[in-house]
Amino acid sequence: MRARLARHRGAVVFFGLAALAPLFVHDAFFLDSLILILLWGALSAAWNVASGYAGQVSLGHAAFFGIGAYSAALLSTRWQQSPWLGMLVGVIVSIAAGSVIGYLSNRLRGPYFALSTIAFSQVLLIVASRWRGFTAGSEGIPVPFRPGFSTLGLSHPAWVYLALSLALLYYLVQLYFERSRVGYQLAGVREDEDAAAALGIASRQLKVIAVMLSAALSSIGGTLWAQYVGFVDPFYVFSVDLSVRFALNTIIGGIGTAMGPYLGSIFITSLETYLRATFSGKTGYAGGYLVIYGCALILVVRFAPEGLTGIAARLRSRFMAIAR
Amino acid sequence: MDPARSLGPAQIEALAQLAVSTVLLGGIYALIAVGLTLIFGIMRVVNFAHGEFLMLGMYLAFWAFVLWSVDPYFMLVIAIPLFFLVGLLTYALVMRGVISASHNVQIFTTVGLSTALQNLALVLWTGDFRVVRPWHSTVVLRVAGTAFNLSQVVAFLIAVGLTLALFAFMKWTRTGRIMRATAQDREAATLMGIDTDRVYRFTWAIGIAVVGAAGALVAPLYAIYPTAGLQFVLLAYVVVVLGGLGDMVGAMLGSLIVATVEVVGSYFFGAAWKEVLYFLLFIAVLVFRPAGLFGQRGAETLGA
Amino acid sequence: MMLALEGVTKRFGGLTAVRRVTLEVPTGTLLGIIGPNGAGKTTLFNVVGGYYRPEEGRILFEGRDITGVPPHAVCRLGLTRTFQIVKPFGNLSVLDNVMIGSLTRLTRVRDARLDAERVIEMCGLAPYTAARAKALPIGLRKRLEVARALATRPRLLLLDEVMAGLNPAELGGIVELIRRIHAEGLTLMVIEHIMAAMMRLAQRIVVLHHGEKIAEGTPAQIASDRRVIDAYLGEEFVLAEA
Repeated sequence: MRARLARHRGAVVFFGLAALAPLFVHDAFFLDSLILILLWGALSAAWNVASGYAGQVSLGHAAFFGIGAYSAALLSTRWQQSPWLGMLVGVIVSIAAGSVIGYLSNRLRGPYFALSTIAFSQVLLIVASRWRGFTAGSEGIPVPFRPGFSTLGLSHPAWVYLALSLALLYYLVQLYFERSRVGYQLAGVREDEDAAAALGIASRQLKVIAVMLSAALSSIGGTLWAQYVGFVDPFYVFSVDLSVRFALNTIIGGIGTAMGPYLGSIFITSLETYLRATFSGKTGYAGGYLVIYGCALILVVRFAPEGLTGIAARLRSRFMAIAR
Repeated sequence: MDPARSLGPAQIEALAQLAVSTVLLGGIYALIAVGLTLIFGIMRVVNFAHGEFLMLGMYLAFWAFVLWSVDPYFMLVIAIPLFFLVGLLTYALVMRGVISASHNVQIFTTVGLSTALQNLALVLWTGDFRVVRPWHSTVVLRVAGTAFNLSQVVAFLIAVGLTLALFAFMKWTRTGRIMRATAQDREAATLMGIDTDRVYRFTWAIGIAVVGAAGALVAPLYAIYPTAGLQFVLLAYVVVVLGGLGDMVGAMLGSLIVATVEVVGSYFFGAAWKEVLYFLLFIAVLVFRPAGLFGQRGAETLGA
Repeated sequence: MMLALEGVTKRFGGLTAVRRVTLEVPTGTLLGIIGPNGAGKTTLFNVVGGYYRPEEGRILFEGRDITGVPPHAVCRLGLTRTFQIVKPFGNLSVLDNVMIGSLTRLTRVRDARLDAERVIEMCGLAPYTAARAKALPIGLRKRLEVARALATRPRLLLLDEVMAGLNPAELGGIVELIRRIHAEGLTLMVIEHIMAAMMRLAQRIVVLHHGEKIAEGTPAQIASDRRVIDAYLGEEFVLAEA
């Protein structure tokens, strides 16, 4: 058991610290950053399931995020339902959308598939931003804060634990895709679909299931995010920028690893929060950090494809070698 | 239907107007798509940053107009060589290393480039919508009951001229033939002594030069802002996919089809929903005829 | 009867790649498939393996009609094939590669690991267990391809030109491996161009030419068949064997 935990030392440290933080730190800004790190980490982990573990690189995951955000917002503002119900609705719709994307993944390769996911999320963006009657159009939907668990009106510490639970759950889901029989088979599908099929693996079906699951997980994250932030703006929740962000976190942290999305999220969300706070007056700088991220993406993908996880592993083995 | 109602002068005029708008738009889209299909066809790279270079071309025209009162169409003379150089630079810095890398590496490299360029524009010039209004953008020509904007016409003529020039270059010059050979079979080209690195560098630079020029051309016609490239790049991909990757004639025909969908769609459903139409068209083409209406079967699985 | 093909025909547009091929593979035999390039051998494997649906004819595996059954289902029924151009899971280790094969039958990863180690040992790949598949030279990749297929515990194994591109030492090794697995009771269908090996391993040989079966028989019968000599073997072969 101790050996098992030791393998996951990074996760233990991260989740442990996150769990302890609200007990000792009461600064709202800090807790807010922590919640965002956890939520972005979880959303990136959801992306990792489809794009990292199943190898279907999507640039349109904002579609599922947005569905989750809108479902909860619409159900709570129009029909006075609990956002938890909205979450459930979002998951169902996302799974349906995910099956469409999954179908596309079996027809299209690599870049073509990525393009189709962009197109898909853009269609949803346009529909959401123009359908005044249903989604309040381009103005977006403000999400009212009603205290209580069923309405997800929570205090900062409560949000930390909720986000932490989500992040931990998604971490475990990813571990499942790494260590289980399904995980191995999916790795085969990722490497070579035809070879995998010849070994008895239902490649096409497995891909679709992975994408559908990824969609559901993204949707749940979208619901929570919308409830936390308090506003659903169609131009944001369905944007390509958002989709790229999930990818960015995961790739910088280490795509296809369970800790990668969280490492990336820590790194990028912290940097973004810091830059935002420092340059808050100058609106121009709002985009500055994204220029850095764009460059970081290019560099990481080319020179350090295993991301921070890979770098950490290399440093660790070098450290071990020196320590001897 | 009453024959006297079906094709009265009003309907013909409306049809004619639609047709003219379609052709004008199609010509411009063709210029945008042609560079992309070259890059796509010869280098086998999906350039997610293509729209950003268009956006930069628009900004170039804007600042030249605002600072030095240079008309965008004259700016073309500067834009083309300037963006050619930009292409060479970005190739050396960014693209060269990923030509033979996996799809994912290529996707994220150009996505990273796209993100960086978009936000560079945001930082430098803010997100405010900019407008270029030279004298000709308000001149309306009326011919036989149809009306169109002088800017549109000039843009169309220049776009068609450039596209045809590029087409002629590809078809009849030695360099063009070398490029086409590399597109067909990379390895064979290397064996024949073709320096593929030079071909790719040149292809990329031409593609960027053409789309930068297109940006200057459309500056008087559209609002200019950092994410302006997105709508055009998706549209360009619809055209390229429709026409078959690497197929210049296909790109030209595809542009007409997309322009038709847009003009007719706007007429019936309103401008707001036209984007939905061509996204649906895009997905439909990808699903049913991924090699394009004019391309070869199985082309969409080519990637090696 | 392990496998029976009845009048199988496969067309690609105007080209008929396989034309009314009928053959049988009795349980426990090693059937060789030979013929010039383009004769339709790999296409035949693709049809049997479920990649293509034949325009005409049936494929019966252990008496059950598997025509048109998709590849992964065919494998689960007990028929596994290898690829002429090997398809290793490049970024995964040799162990992971074979484990994925073992996981066809075994549900626990732990059991699959032990099973894979056993198969790796049997195929002489033990020193490379932790190596990345894409780092292996072609000879070892071919072995890996066979090992991975064996791990799925097939009752019928289809080997597509596993010997191509091997040097004499590697060749000897793989012939020995095939002989061993055949001796242990596995039924095999083998496509090969290396006639010396084929003659030694096969109990029966089928010759394809332009998609049609032009001859069938024991190695000795095939070697002296005029049509086969004209179409494929050539006079030098006959002299060499004599």
